[in-house]
Amino acid sequence: MTDNINQAKQIAIINCHSPFSLPVGRESLDLALIFGAYEQNVSLFFIGDGVFQLKKDQHGEVIESKDFLKTFAALPFYDIENIYICRDSIKNRGIDKTDLLLTNINLLSTSEISAIIHQHKVIYKF
Amino acid sequence: MRLFLVCIFLNYSEKINLQTDLRSKFTMQKTLALVITSPPNSNLTTTAINLISAAIKENIKVIGVFFYQDGVLNAANNLHFPNDEYQTQAEWVVLNKQYNIPLFLCNTAAEKRGLMVEDYSIGTNKVRTIHNAFTPSGLGELAQLTASADRMVQL
Repeated sequence: MTDNINQAKQIAIINCHSPFSLPVGRESLDLALIFGAYEQNVSLFFIGDGVFQLKKDQHGEVIESKDFLKTFAALPFYDIENIYICRDSIKNRGIDKTDLLLTNINLLSTSEISAIIHQHKVIYKF
Repeated sequence: MRLFLVCIFLNYSEKINLQTDLRSKFTMQKTLALVITSPPNSNLTTTAINLISAAIKENIKVIGVFFYQDGVLNAANNLHFPNDEYQTQAEWVVLNKQYNIPLFLCNTAAEKRGLMVEDYSIGTNKVRTIHNAFTPSGLGELAQLTASADRMVQL
């Protein structure tokens, strides 16, 4: 029964904002974990300034923000394994892939990311 | 914890499948759900309301609207816009009361923006910060809407 739903819907969550200026990053992650808990097929995309969410060694508490970035470590426990990061975005922002919080990721070009997003039926953008 | 969540999911999935079966057996009506992440003064919110009105005219069933992020501000009680502005909240209330479209609201996102889901008291006065056309709920509601709707639109 659950298989029917999983086959029916591929859900993409696209993150485009830096982590602390707005609450969108945190709320996007909350939603991803809920979809994970409901065993929906969810993929995460990080493009543009969204890649800043995945940079290691950030300390939100210094600017009175709760540090939600450690929650990214929970993604595997919710079976969220399709994580796509825009290679051009991290390069343009001077981030090396060794600076990223997550290791089990796919670094792709913008055109490859675009092609994968098109395979999803529902797209959320935060 | 995980098992518990899976149990809830199975419960939901039965409901979802039942709804889908009933829909396909008795009617070909398409379903639409929306996520509103824009505040009431945004033209994106106005666009969402126009989209819902158009969907109703086209006999598309709008199974729910979920307010998330700054979208929860649409549900604030006692909002009052100048007369020459678009009356966003009044339009939501019409969609809810006249067309029975459920308006769900993320508890956590609302509380983070200063909207209390429970009524509270200041002295002897009861204060209500959420308009009664809106139903406080959790993100699970959004997961269910996403699984059920033929088309999901975020504005």
